[in-house]
Amino acid sequence: MTLLLQAVADGLQMGLLYALVAVGLTIIWGLMEMINFAHGEFMMLGMFGAWGLSVLLGWDPLITMVPVAVIMYGAGVLVYRLLMQRVQRGEVFTQIFATVGLFFFIQNGAVAVFTSDYRFVGKSLLTGLSGTNLTLGGVRVGVPLLVGGLIALAIFLALYLLIDRTDFGLALQATSEDRDAAMLVGIRPQRMYAVAWGLGTALVAVAGVILANFFAVYPQAGLSFTVMAYAIVALGGFGSILGTLLAALLVGVVQSVTAAYLPPAFKDAFVFGSYILIGLFRPQGLFGRF
Amino acid sequence: MAPLLQVTSCTKRFGGLVANHDVSLTIESREIVGLIGPNGAGKTTLFNCLSGALHPDEGRIVLNGIDISRARPERVCRLGIARTWQVVRSFGRMTVLENVICGALRRTSRMGPARARALELLAFTGLAGKEDVMAAGLTLADKKRLEITRALATAPHLLLLDEAMSGLTPMETTAAVELVRRIHDELGLAICVVEHVMEVVMPLSHRVIVLDHGEKLTEGPPAEVARDERVITAYLGDRYRARS
Amino acid sequence: MAALAALLYPIPFEQSGYIYYETVGFLVLLNAMLGIGWNIIGGWAGQFDFGPNIFFATGAYTAALLSIHFGWNAWAGLLGAVVVSVAICAAVTYPITRLRGHYFAIATVAMWMIAQPIGATWELINGSRGLFIPVAPGKNLVHGMLTMEFPGRGKGLGFYYLALFLFVLTLLGARAVERSKWGFYFRAVHDDQDGAEGIGIDSRLYKVIARCLMAAVFAAGGVLYGFWALAVFPDQVLEVNWNILPMMAAVVGGLGRLWGPVLGAIILIPISQLMTATLGAGPLAGRGIDLIIYGAVIMLIAGGRPNGLLSLPWARWAGRLVGRAPAGPAKG
Repeated sequence: MTLLLQAVADGLQMGLLYALVAVGLTIIWGLMEMINFAHGEFMMLGMFGAWGLSVLLGWDPLITMVPVAVIMYGAGVLVYRLLMQRVQRGEVFTQIFATVGLFFFIQNGAVAVFTSDYRFVGKSLLTGLSGTNLTLGGVRVGVPLLVGGLIALAIFLALYLLIDRTDFGLALQATSEDRDAAMLVGIRPQRMYAVAWGLGTALVAVAGVILANFFAVYPQAGLSFTVMAYAIVALGGFGSILGTLLAALLVGVVQSVTAAYLPPAFKDAFVFGSYILIGLFRPQGLFGRF
Repeated sequence: MAPLLQVTSCTKRFGGLVANHDVSLTIESREIVGLIGPNGAGKTTLFNCLSGALHPDEGRIVLNGIDISRARPERVCRLGIARTWQVVRSFGRMTVLENVICGALRRTSRMGPARARALELLAFTGLAGKEDVMAAGLTLADKKRLEITRALATAPHLLLLDEAMSGLTPMETTAAVELVRRIHDELGLAICVVEHVMEVVMPLSHRVIVLDHGEKLTEGPPAEVARDERVITAYLGDRYRARS
Repeated sequence: MAALAALLYPIPFEQSGYIYYETVGFLVLLNAMLGIGWNIIGGWAGQFDFGPNIFFATGAYTAALLSIHFGWNAWAGLLGAVVVSVAICAAVTYPITRLRGHYFAIATVAMWMIAQPIGATWELINGSRGLFIPVAPGKNLVHGMLTMEFPGRGKGLGFYYLALFLFVLTLLGARAVERSKWGFYFRAVHDDQDGAEGIGIDSRLYKVIARCLMAAVFAAGGVLYGFWALAVFPDQVLEVNWNILPMMAAVVGGLGRLWGPVLGAIILIPISQLMTATLGAGPLAGRGIDLIIYGAVIMLIAGGRPNGLLSLPWARWAGRLVGRAPAGPAKG
């Protein structure tokens, strides 16, 4: 029983981080119904950013979050303007294909530059805390992961406030509801889309920076996170930010519980399997609005 | 004789909006029934329920004795209802002939007979000579013609035409009405026509059903319905009278 | 007519005694065949499938297991592999047919990712230790064609012809499907799924059928590869190259066109081999770079022609080069 509780506790914390990974996708999807096969690759780049700056300048990942966020925001906008803007008008197939190309390009670019070796962020605030635990009701809660999760949660809530309470967020929502109507009130959809891409990319890269404290950094790390992000967005009802958070927590728990009882290679299998099951039984997601 | 189509208390809601409320109607074989009503009356929703694109929340739809209330669109088509869409649809990347062949394949799996049937129908609906044109390159009138031809190829008992005349010039409209008449007379189908153009639907229909705000207002022969005060009010408001 | 000319075209290759080129030819044909298979679901039915290599793997493993445990002949194994793969495909695909566009694509990726740990850990197939196919050195070419076992020197030649044979089979099969009810229905579902359902097409069923046809082709390809490599490893058969190359071959050559993947494979495989040969700086870096280039090419194509990936100029120019009429959409 304690094993189960432990797994659930771990899963919830990981879920917070996964929420940050997935929320960028939710924004982009909610706004323009676009898929991004390369979503996880940006996360991977964020991880490498954390590792690189840690090795080169000795910066703690918590500091690195800021420059990474800024740079990756720019990268997202660039990707939108150079590529996605062009394929938006075309077939869905082409959109998928374009991001598949992006996926291969980024992942293998990383392989070429960094090789596929695993890297680790050596010294950081969070890794320094590893080993310290809080014990709540017989369940050991590792401090590093908890802090990481709370940081993610903070960013998540900041995002929620941005979308829900600011004029800009309102403009974003308006464009996603009805692009033409938004244009009529002076909102420029192209600008919204570019910002959404920038924001989504920045968020997932920052998630990568935090995750670099806990996971190995290597070029192939991205794809399984992409699929997981999709599973989360699908579960969370496609476009609902709070739904994403809840779904991410659920996914974190499922993954963690699976890892506790099955061989580690299978920890993602359940999550992916559930994505397929959702397609079968509840296409609008667990918390869907439809 | 049992009616071809029997709709009993069909109700369809979208969240808080009740698009169809307790609508009951019948359609007999070989009838032309007009379905009219102001915008937002729920006509297309009803069509969607009939063709299986949507399923009613309450009520039953029975075709030839078979309950199709929950049937998927392809099953409804197999059982004998074909439809055209409010915004015209075709397989843009296929030729006119290929489009109709797709319909004909519903009734025969072999390409030879399907092709022959398609060619026959294209001649019947007046698209002969355009077989190899890409569907995306047709004029609107021809696209509608193609859509009807393709629907006919599935050999339906009941053809649902959703605003087939919208967007047509007067000349094209006359030709379209002619076509509908010929389809009825020569192919012996029942046809249900949703239409806004009164000059079209009144002369064409044997019977007219009026929807308003999701409910059936009245039904009857066109002349009667046109004179019905409630119908006039629904369309035009209290202060006008229809020209007869 | 035009098809025959293209069939005779590759034969001269075997006259040169260079095994390497025969292997390249083998890979071209294999990928062309897989590309045609992918075209069925990707080009005609319009569903983006990013995980066809799971059937490549099931094909290879089934045939390998049948050979190892029951001593089945390679061709019998191929039949068995196709049957098993199609059955698996039907079972796993039906649930996801409700998903459209992106969601379907991600579901296929999810399947691929589930397959990887299964491949690495399942004891029946020896997990990541791989399966070795017991192959006696063959006696001669004819015997080899019947059993896929070739004498050492004749291997390149023999497998080239096997690949050619399966390729032609696939091509003819695809051509037959294209002109049949199935072909029409696939394209209808792609063009307008709701409209298609309105004329009586069960879109879910036909998506499954299209994917199963692809699975059959990939399974056959997997068997061929397995007997060529004489061993089946999960990393090898689930490798991403067996996804991306057929897909790219189909797209570069002309998505939805019967000969498209052939053209694409003829262009892409030699380039990839060339890159491997010249770059040579360690196996990983070499392969990585050609994927980078593929990625860039994909983005260029997607960005350059968003409303149609039909690379028309290629088909027309290539057609003029070989002196035949450009391949139009097959009709009648």
